[in-house]
Amino acid sequence: MIVNDLEIMFGGQAGDGSLTTGDLIALLFKRMGLEVYTYKDFPSRIRGGHTNYVIRAGTTRGYGIADAVDGLVAFDLETVEAHVAEIRAGGFVIFDSTSEQVPRELRRRDVTWYDVPLARIAKVELGLELVRNTVAIGVLAAVLGMDGAAVASEVGAVYRRKGAKVVDLNLAALAAGEAFVTRYFSEWPSGYALERRPDGERLFMMGNDAIAYGALAAGCRFMAGYPITPATDILEWMAKHLPDYGGVAVQAEDELAAINMVLGAAFAGVRAMTATSGPGQALMTEAIGLAGVLELPVVVIECARTGPSTGMPTKTEQSNLNHLIFSGHGEIPRVVLAPGTVEDSFYLTARAFDLAERYQCPVFVLTEQALAQSKATLPLLDVDSVRVDRGKLRLEPVVFGDYQRFALADDGVSPRVIPGVAGGMHLAAGSEHDPSGTITENAANRTRMMEKRMGKLEAMRADLPRGIVHGDPAADIALFGYGSNRGPIVETLDRLTRAGIPVRFFEFRTLWPFPEDDVRAFAADAKAIFVIENNYTGQLERLVRYVVGPLPHMHLVNKYDGRPFRPLEIERAIAQHVALRAPAMPEPARTKGRL
Amino acid sequence: MAITLAPKDFATATPAWWCPGCGDYGVLSALKSALAELGREPKDVAFVSGIGCSGKISGYVNAYAFHGVHGRALPVATGVKLANRDLTVIAAGGDGDGYAIGAGHFLHAVRRNPNITYIVMDNQTYGLTKGQSSPTSAAGYVAGTSPQGNPDAPINGLALALAAGGTFLARGFAAQPKKLVALLKSAIEHDGFSLVEVMSPCVTYNKINTFAWFKENTFDVESLEGYDPGDRTTAFATLSAEGKIPLGVLYRDARATFEKLLHLPEQPLTSLDLLAKRTELGALAEAYR
Repeated sequence: MIVNDLEIMFGGQAGDGSLTTGDLIALLFKRMGLEVYTYKDFPSRIRGGHTNYVIRAGTTRGYGIADAVDGLVAFDLETVEAHVAEIRAGGFVIFDSTSEQVPRELRRRDVTWYDVPLARIAKVELGLELVRNTVAIGVLAAVLGMDGAAVASEVGAVYRRKGAKVVDLNLAALAAGEAFVTRYFSEWPSGYALERRPDGERLFMMGNDAIAYGALAAGCRFMAGYPITPATDILEWMAKHLPDYGGVAVQAEDELAAINMVLGAAFAGVRAMTATSGPGQALMTEAIGLAGVLELPVVVIECARTGPSTGMPTKTEQSNLNHLIFSGHGEIPRVVLAPGTVEDSFYLTARAFDLAERYQCPVFVLTEQALAQSKATLPLLDVDSVRVDRGKLRLEPVVFGDYQRFALADDGVSPRVIPGVAGGMHLAAGSEHDPSGTITENAANRTRMMEKRMGKLEAMRADLPRGIVHGDPAADIALFGYGSNRGPIVETLDRLTRAGIPVRFFEFRTLWPFPEDDVRAFAADAKAIFVIENNYTGQLERLVRYVVGPLPHMHLVNKYDGRPFRPLEIERAIAQHVALRAPAMPEPARTKGRL
Repeated sequence: MAITLAPKDFATATPAWWCPGCGDYGVLSALKSALAELGREPKDVAFVSGIGCSGKISGYVNAYAFHGVHGRALPVATGVKLANRDLTVIAAGGDGDGYAIGAGHFLHAVRRNPNITYIVMDNQTYGLTKGQSSPTSAAGYVAGTSPQGNPDAPINGLALALAAGGTFLARGFAAQPKKLVALLKSAIEHDGFSLVEVMSPCVTYNKINTFAWFKENTFDVESLEGYDPGDRTTAFATLSAEGKIPLGVLYRDARATFEKLLHLPEQPLTSLDLLAKRTELGALAEAYR
């Protein structure tokens, strides 16, 4: 019997409610006291096309998806075809047998099959096919042996605002699902159990919501953006909440306008940001160079997805790292932060605003679809801990003629005035300029101004979020990674550690300026180094290699199919180079058929 | 206390570096006079410009000046205005900056109607890159990139703006300083997006649309009996008519500004206490329990 550790996948057609059902069951698991991570694998369209929603529930916070699917809830045959091979031996399938049957060749013998006419039960017994999803939750709850009263209470709470009629209907649907299991499957245990634990003081939040919340807490009062998956949630969140705090969110006509509005607002003195994904980021590149040379504090949230071009808009990838660090004509100081959890998405975004104002340069927060649009359980956020440090902002009058907006300084950061401040009038020009702002092509001045701006990269070093070292810092096996890979990497580390194989993991939180000293210190004396990332070329691995040198024992572990790592994939990659004394993990069947 | 200002209060130490005789000098001079006559203090003026000969103008006005990338003056100006609505926000650029690379922003700024003024200095050529055809060059205009004649029909910026919901549309001529000052003053005082297109001849590259040509080929709508700038249909007809180019206030209308429709607070966003409402902020997390 496997207790409190499972991965459930809901699958069906886009628009048929599998995502909503997934949200509901994920919340249910959270309320039952489990640690939850969700991953949405949906097509880039509104109706039709296979979609699935993965819910990982367990007792350890911060893990990502598991090695395999434990329970598949399939609303159609296509879901079975696509995912039956991903089910762990000993797992189960709940299949809506109303209008389709699973052919014999797909019926894996090592999996328990629960054929339930979900839609028919909903239509015949409850008079509304729409509640099929709730019937499925009833079936799942029964199969997992969940406390029926607790499930009913939570489902009732979710539907309460829709009125008593809707609540009653859904409770009846739950009961119908449970009754069907009791009636037909009481002799067929799933082998899984879910036992209630105290929910405690926790939140359940999506990465994008945490980013927006962090921005609001940090005093961001202006946002401009253009809808783009998977970043749109942030603009919607800000549009909803910013006005309550005196701010404003603007839906611009394109990303060029969005970033230039942000520059304008930042120039005028408001904490401002935009959020986008690869294609939009590409369009913003020129203006970000302008922000660098105008020394404007702007925050750009990059929710990476699969590229190039349109790529797979709803799938995850870490292929925009090079773009954030190196894109643009000319050279500017910039910061790239990368949270590894929903919780850190809040704190690092808040921190981004301070860094942007303290060093008067663009700051990126890099996340990716598998974190940005995933929900996870997290401890309560400490909103009061968020500081607002506006750096060298000067609001009192200055002496016109003496004041120099781009004055040379040891740390490269000049006192900054904003429109309305008497005496501070100046030209902020994308053309090279002298400390006063006057445009000039003088060679000596050019050299000085380049050194002033680029010098910020060194000046800010001590102020940047440090990476986190997980595991045994003296372990022979050393791993590097960032972002959503933190979950599967930490799970791999925990598993190997339990098996007596120590592992160390450096989780980057600042990717630029590259934390060379920390990387060098961490990698020193490691016997085998693995850089784990979701892209083809090994963008992070190249940065690490540049710092620690070409080492024969350094390996790239990469994946670029648009899906996040499963821990077993990382473990296998390590095992190719290091003899792991860990007990052999069960071999999950390879995915076959349509994906 | 009323502040008395003179055009020289808007002068910068940097002299303007346009070709002698360039129409842009007339625009610069008129703008300084308009700001002085309206009593807008340099510290309260944000002046955003794009790229090109005309884009250099922000460097020649004592104000909070922003000389950004090509074609994006209007989004920058919109961001400035939303951040601090107390500022007088002016954007300026050429016909290429506004009607070619920035055409998308132009239409969207017009339809949003933020309270900013946009000056398009139209010389019907790309001057800074030495005389290529521009979006307002006549069809058939011979230039380096169109040796067989410009294949594109010219853009009618004011008519476009009228179709997009423009609320203040005017056209001036760089060689008519008094009228231009008056147009700019009305535009700046207009509550909403004001567009002032200024015929600003390029004396170096455009040998067709010269000062003399404009004198010959323009007329003021005030010379039309009973011209009503509040009449949209007449404005369309006047802007679309073949023949001489109409000058003056072509159209004006009252419509809610972007600031109003966004429910922007009355005080500038720059004056907000960023640590206010911490309790409410913390309570937002309750939705995620």
